[in-house]
Amino acid sequence: MFTKILIANRGEIAVRILRACRELGLETVAVYSEADRQSLHVRYADEAYLLGPAPARDSYLRGDKIIDIARKCGATAIHPGYGFLAERADFAAACAEAGLAFVGPRPESIAAMGDKVRARQTVARAGVPVVPGTEGASGLRDEELLALAPQIGFPLLIKAAAGGGGKGMREVNSLEEMPSLLQAARREAEASFGDGNVYLEKLVEGARHIEFQILADHHGNIIHLGERECSLQRRHQKLLEEAPSPFLGDNEDLRARMGKMAVEAARAVAYCNAGTVEFLVDKDGNFFFLEMNTRLQVEHPVTEMITGIDIVAEQVRIARGRQLSYRQEEVRRIGAAIECRINAENPYEDFMPSTGVITHILAPTGPGVRIDTGVYPGFEITPYYDPMIAKLIVWGETRGQAILRTRRALEEYKIVGVHTNIPFHQTMMDSHRFMGGQYDTRFVEERYSIHEAEENRETYPHIAAIMATLVAHQQMEKRAQVVRRNERDTSNWKWFGRWERMRG
Amino acid sequence: MKYIATVNGNEYPVEVIDERHIRLNGAVQEVDFVAIGNQPVYSLIIDGKSYEAYIYPEGDAWQVLLIGQQYEVRVEEEREKRLSRAAGAPIAETGEFHLKAPMPGLIVSIAVQEGEEVKKGQVLAILESMKMQNELRSPRPGKVTRIRVRVGESVEQKQTLLSVI
Repeated sequence: MFTKILIANRGEIAVRILRACRELGLETVAVYSEADRQSLHVRYADEAYLLGPAPARDSYLRGDKIIDIARKCGATAIHPGYGFLAERADFAAACAEAGLAFVGPRPESIAAMGDKVRARQTVARAGVPVVPGTEGASGLRDEELLALAPQIGFPLLIKAAAGGGGKGMREVNSLEEMPSLLQAARREAEASFGDGNVYLEKLVEGARHIEFQILADHHGNIIHLGERECSLQRRHQKLLEEAPSPFLGDNEDLRARMGKMAVEAARAVAYCNAGTVEFLVDKDGNFFFLEMNTRLQVEHPVTEMITGIDIVAEQVRIARGRQLSYRQEEVRRIGAAIECRINAENPYEDFMPSTGVITHILAPTGPGVRIDTGVYPGFEITPYYDPMIAKLIVWGETRGQAILRTRRALEEYKIVGVHTNIPFHQTMMDSHRFMGGQYDTRFVEERYSIHEAEENRETYPHIAAIMATLVAHQQMEKRAQVVRRNERDTSNWKWFGRWERMRG
Repeated sequence: MKYIATVNGNEYPVEVIDERHIRLNGAVQEVDFVAIGNQPVYSLIIDGKSYEAYIYPEGDAWQVLLIGQQYEVRVEEEREKRLSRAAGAPIAETGEFHLKAPMPGLIVSIAVQEGEEVKKGQVLAILESMKMQNELRSPRPGKVTRIRVRVGESVEQKQTLLSVI
């Protein structure tokens, strides 16, 4: 059983994992790029080793170096976090070869779910419904895809076979625009995953994105911890997640059926450790397997908040070869939780990423509030990594209370120096559609405008005007004083000189 | 001292009478205004109401983060403002638009060629930053001149990428 673990990640998730490991009494090892020398994960860990220059391909994606560091420092387990090497079957395999426990699934499961085309086939065979699309062969050429498209019907999606996170994904409304979109999708897929293969999938309209958290041990036990709804997205990037899903609501029958299918999907690839099965659900409650994320997810805290289960601690327990702490019937849900992803981007300028130095942070506290973050005042946001700087996770006895608390916490949250999407989340908490749970995956892109959303908000421009004026006035006074003092100083010296001469 | 604060195009004349009093819309109001510690955090009590804000300069304006909202406030002395107004209308927009990188990043693609006519909103270049591909568009119609960067080049924030006449 391992007692020293290397965390092959950065930012908030590295800190999150470090915390769990520290609680479990494990020795912790951080790795970092040249840009992250001052990062929290480096300072929190017992040991820290430099990987290389800032770009991920020279640092956090250097699996060979990471394994080498683990060997040299005596760590016998690696937690990959999410992103970077988390879903690289070759890395998981290399860890196993080096005799390191990989805190995640077997390489075969990663590979089976990582190729989205193969994943669809595998789970479909296990009786899990999938979105209609290009079945069978992967690695289809453009001509073949163009020929298949009309059979699937428009609108449809081009998706990267190796994909995730919306990269290499394009929506197609007609055959005419498809060739250029194919090219763009392949280019992005190639850049993001080193694999330009794409496939097609019918676009489910008015779709809700609902996913199930899975835990599986090495003894064949597989359970789910209920669902999370992640329908609030922009360009296929999740912005806000919640549990339970307002769409599923009291529909325990649908919840149970989806949960069962999620477990079946995991079983189909002999899954082990924590994973997430994503479904698209149409307005009639038909659900389709979308993909399985074979890793810990960004939004895992919302499940932790309502189940009380520490998913990262369970991951470590599983990797140590022990049985799950819970049986399915022991998993209980209490209340509701919401997670707001706080990104360094400007919601008033089409969510353009914002770089710079965070000069001040005042984070919300109080009942039901949790913040997972890797940044601090003085932290520089560079263009090398993800724009997510923090996650605000709020729990309430009911969904209504969770919304009110989130609104309160967002008001308290002050981040100065870079733009953040906090105003976006604020408008969401005020939105009747959100309160009513009436939103789908296209809501932000198609029916949301921050300017409109803010129209009815109470604003205080006159207070802002007064406060800014008083600050400007204070500065002006201070400057005037400095000048006056200088004037007096010179005359003092003159006076002193005269006095000296008089004495002489 | 008389000031004019501008928020979202609206002008708020504020006269600072002394440390405890201001005049707003002709009425004198008592204010209690203090800076908190060494931070750009300020507390204002006015008419019994308590407000807290982060206030810091950015460019030639003040950023005010107040009750979860960000305001950009331009503060000018009334006299100065009158003088600058008397100096004449602002200069009309000059002929050339310089597309500047809104953030540091990598040029993934340049969608236009020198001499090409572009429409308003047309994509000029794609800049990759923070793992996202950002489309940079033309704010107005015109003709592309002087492309100053190549595909694959890393650029700094505010670096000029190309121009549109």
